[in-house]
Amino acid sequence: MSIRKQLYTWELYGDGTQGTNPIVYPAAGIPYSILYGAFGNTQAGSQTGLVNEDQFVVIDKIASKPGISPTDFTTATDGGVTSLTSWNPNMFVNIVIDTTGYYQDPQNVFANGVSGTASPYPRQDQVMPYYDLWPPIYVLPDQTLDIRYTLNNDIIASAVPANWNVIPITTMLASVFVEYTNYSGTDAMMARKLMNLGIPITPSTVDSFRRLLLENKGLDTETFSFYLKTVEAERKREDKQKRMQGLDRHHEYGSDVK
Amino acid sequence: MSLRRQVYEWRNLVQNVGDSVFLNGYPISWVGSCVTAAMSANQPVDIFIGGIGNNLDMPGRLKAYQYVVLDAIALWPQTLSAQLYVNTTKYFQDPDRVPSRTGGIPANIVPFPNGQDGIINYDYQDGLEPSLYILPGQNWGVEVTSSVNILASSSATETQIQKCFIKYLLIDGADSLVAQHLVKSGWALTVENIWKFKQDIIKHHLYAGMTELPAGVTKGKRKV
Repeated sequence: MSIRKQLYTWELYGDGTQGTNPIVYPAAGIPYSILYGAFGNTQAGSQTGLVNEDQFVVIDKIASKPGISPTDFTTATDGGVTSLTSWNPNMFVNIVIDTTGYYQDPQNVFANGVSGTASPYPRQDQVMPYYDLWPPIYVLPDQTLDIRYTLNNDIIASAVPANWNVIPITTMLASVFVEYTNYSGTDAMMARKLMNLGIPITPSTVDSFRRLLLENKGLDTETFSFYLKTVEAERKREDKQKRMQGLDRHHEYGSDVK
Repeated sequence: MSLRRQVYEWRNLVQNVGDSVFLNGYPISWVGSCVTAAMSANQPVDIFIGGIGNNLDMPGRLKAYQYVVLDAIALWPQTLSAQLYVNTTKYFQDPDRVPSRTGGIPANIVPFPNGQDGIINYDYQDGLEPSLYILPGQNWGVEVTSSVNILASSSATETQIQKCFIKYLLIDGADSLVAQHLVKSGWALTVENIWKFKQDIIKHHLYAGMTELPAGVTKGKRKV
């Protein structure tokens, strides 16, 4: 029974060779899993991301390495050996739950996903992300979660001696970052209950629900009413704070019945 | 039934020298082959079906059970501007109510990525305010206009690639019914408002379940 803020990073580094080995470097244009794919630091057991029956997962953030043009690579030459020091992967990431892709294009067809340029990892102070995964994604018990990346810049085709001799093991070629909240045990049951009631699942709402259970011994209709009052009180406090900060805008549903 | 934060990115990248369009996806590039298509100055190009760069098979058109809340747009380089349209109406217009002659919102205001060449998006940090709603059955899209001629290149660098990014909330399935109610009542279509509306529906159902049944039902003889 716990609520844990988890993260998972997938990173692909050079192997100390020129970079022509198709076993080490993924082919361009093909989606691969960051959990059980054949490249990078995937899980040792190559397991799929199955959410157990006593778990509830909320995905909060997703990001990947930025950069589009392969022409903007940089190298360093030492002792006659030219090493690749930075690389733009032109990558996209999609979230797949069971057989459904989260990202689709405007013609309602499965898409590559969000790019590293829109949601960068690692983040740098001069580049701010445009993309924020809001609302978060709920992955329910017994659902399978997968995160798939697609590289559109071909590393193998670029690896010719005129460009570089070696891709060092310290050069990061591609990366993906996922942040999620893992509710397990009774917390997962509470998360499920809150979802059924249409209440957003955050650590604070689950904590609050747990307190209610301990105080009132169950979420019957009376308790639900009490819970809503508590939430309303919190909303009023936030509204007051917004007004005092000059940020209040009269466009929130229900704000006319304060 | 879902609320999903979607993105679409357009670039003028193509697969081979001489191509002008790449359909349904993104071309593969490598060092020595990063091919971009040419663009004419002051000619709007639809990022979905404009025939330049990565395109779709069909224009953006919402199904009967979909709503879109378009809340952010960004582009680069600085010579690029973007205009939104819904059916035949353009979003950005000049003070004389003619659609923007410069092509809409410029990249200097909404650079992509945010922070490119030290330029930060400060004025549209929260995207369009109020957001642009696209209703079921409507056609929508984005046109980009370059103020200068863009030559085709076979080995384009990062800053030479023309790019446009849009972010939107896709509301479909049962959530679109909630969205319909909110729009009819004049409330903003936001994730929080949709959640709140659903909470209210559930609350009312719970209260309805508490109500005592009429005596004729509770004290009547069982019919089965």
